[in-house]
Amino acid sequence: MKTFSKYWSIFQITLINSLAYPGELVGRSLMIIPFMWIFYQLWKVTFSAAGADVVSGLTLRDTLWYLMLAETIELGRPPVARTMSESVKDGSIAYILNKPYDFLWYQFSTAMGETIFRAMLNAIFGGLTVWLLVGAPAHPEGFLIAIPAVLGAWALHFCINAMIGLSAFAVEDVSAFTWIYQKLAFIFGGLLIPLDFYPQWLQVIAKALPFASAIYGPARLFVTPSLELFISVMSLQLAWIIVLSLTLALVYRSGIKQLTVNGG
Amino acid sequence: MNSIKVKNLQKTFQTKRKAAGLGGSVRSLFKPEYSSVEAVNNLSFEMEAGELLGFIGPNGAGKSTTIKMLTGILHPSGGEASVLGFTPWVDRQKLAFQIGTVFGQRPQLWYHLPAIDTFTLFGKIYELDDRETKKRIDFLAEAFEMKDLLEVPVRKLSLGQRMRCEVAASLLHRPKLILLDEPSIGLDVVAKQNIRDAIRRMNQEEGVGVLLTSHDAGDLEALCKRVIIVNHGQIVYEDKVSNLKRKFLTTKLVEVRYAEGVAKDFSIDGVEILKVGHYGVKLKFDAAKTSVESVLAHISAAGDIVDITISDPPLEEVIAKIYEQAKEYE
Repeated sequence: MKTFSKYWSIFQITLINSLAYPGELVGRSLMIIPFMWIFYQLWKVTFSAAGADVVSGLTLRDTLWYLMLAETIELGRPPVARTMSESVKDGSIAYILNKPYDFLWYQFSTAMGETIFRAMLNAIFGGLTVWLLVGAPAHPEGFLIAIPAVLGAWALHFCINAMIGLSAFAVEDVSAFTWIYQKLAFIFGGLLIPLDFYPQWLQVIAKALPFASAIYGPARLFVTPSLELFISVMSLQLAWIIVLSLTLALVYRSGIKQLTVNGG
Repeated sequence: MNSIKVKNLQKTFQTKRKAAGLGGSVRSLFKPEYSSVEAVNNLSFEMEAGELLGFIGPNGAGKSTTIKMLTGILHPSGGEASVLGFTPWVDRQKLAFQIGTVFGQRPQLWYHLPAIDTFTLFGKIYELDDRETKKRIDFLAEAFEMKDLLEVPVRKLSLGQRMRCEVAASLLHRPKLILLDEPSIGLDVVAKQNIRDAIRRMNQEEGVGVLLTSHDAGDLEALCKRVIIVNHGQIVYEDKVSNLKRKFLTTKLVEVRYAEGVAKDFSIDGVEILKVGHYGVKLKFDAAKTSVESVLAHISAAGDIVDITISDPPLEEVIAKIYEQAKEYE
């Protein structure tokens, strides 16, 4: 119980800390408004060029709400890899490592603390914009059903990003890896185009990768919720979380021995 | 009982070397060259429970690396260490419940939040119950004179105020040992004094052992009973601070002012005359070679003394001398 309350407190203090500069928090979240407007313009043209109201099972309205949630997941998640790499570079990792908690659980708790308000604001601004452009979501209850999958998505993002962050123990600067990860998530996660619009062979590849569970799965569940889809999204996501978190724990155990703490 | 026992501790870092300019950068991409740096080299020492031990040395001497190994943050390249019965890099989390750390150059308080928030968080992290945490915060607030500071966002505190909170935070869980890495860096005289007083009080009242690294010989003089001086990752001197003073503070500086004029050729055997003025002289001698008594006899024979000051050179000079000796020895 004390262990749980430890990480809960770390989560809470990060949550409070994220409100230190509310103006910056709101300003950053406003970025989702132009993004959604651009998506609306692009997909409106695409749907009219296709001459159909439904493409691959999605309407224009579904597509926009899908993209809103996909963007909320992506824009809400904190730069875990960069934060970890910075703490190795500037030596502040010394303070993170000298307290009686598990390093990875500490990082996860702070990551989630940083995520919540940012994601909520993104969802509010993005949701209002999409509502004005294409109307209410076809299945508003999908939002509640998608929440566990969104939380799972962040856990999955965390596992991958923490692994990238841990590589800082050896290489210090990880910006190249985060760039590659981000682009892979764009393409295989369905951040710009729902995976349903991909050619069949590419869909098969993309859906087999963890990126789909981190973006596409929860966003698709939101626009077309069903028990069947919920079970399939959550079970695939859970499988990936188990595999990647175990790998992460192994990488951490070997990485910590390589650590060089900078500074006096 | 020992709280720290270190035997042949070793830490070697691999550092990438690169020739200057673009050519050097390109070459190092294809054929990187590494050199080994012995940050800590065969270090052995012990520290008693409740002791105030100074661990000093110039930049790059291996002080911080040693502290990081003793807290379990870094794995050593060789050797053994036991801190409060734990091997730090094996039992890092268990050890963390028993020790406190302050790295003067790296804040541990949450910068945008009032210090009380960090204190409360630390209470949870160290698994104290809420009532105990509150009681302890009240006690530390009084000991470190920080009652009025606790609810101010840390970023608004002065460096001295912040350091008081930092050191207090490291004592929240009643550690048996605190490792202070440059706690007085950048502080003014008053702030340094406040920190030293509070540390001394905690040592006396709670028996907490203090391992202190510092550039400031004043910290050492004010706080530590024993000192270890390191250079290039090795111990170059280890003794009580009082012995350090007795052995190395043998040089005396004397300033005398006479009622009448002083002879221009004022001299005493075995004494270096630094300055002869109209009414005063300034001289220096080694008390181990020339007796204080004989020097004073000569001074008083030279005329009616109005004023006399005898002083020791600052401890910093002594430490610099020890580094110099170590360098010559190499």
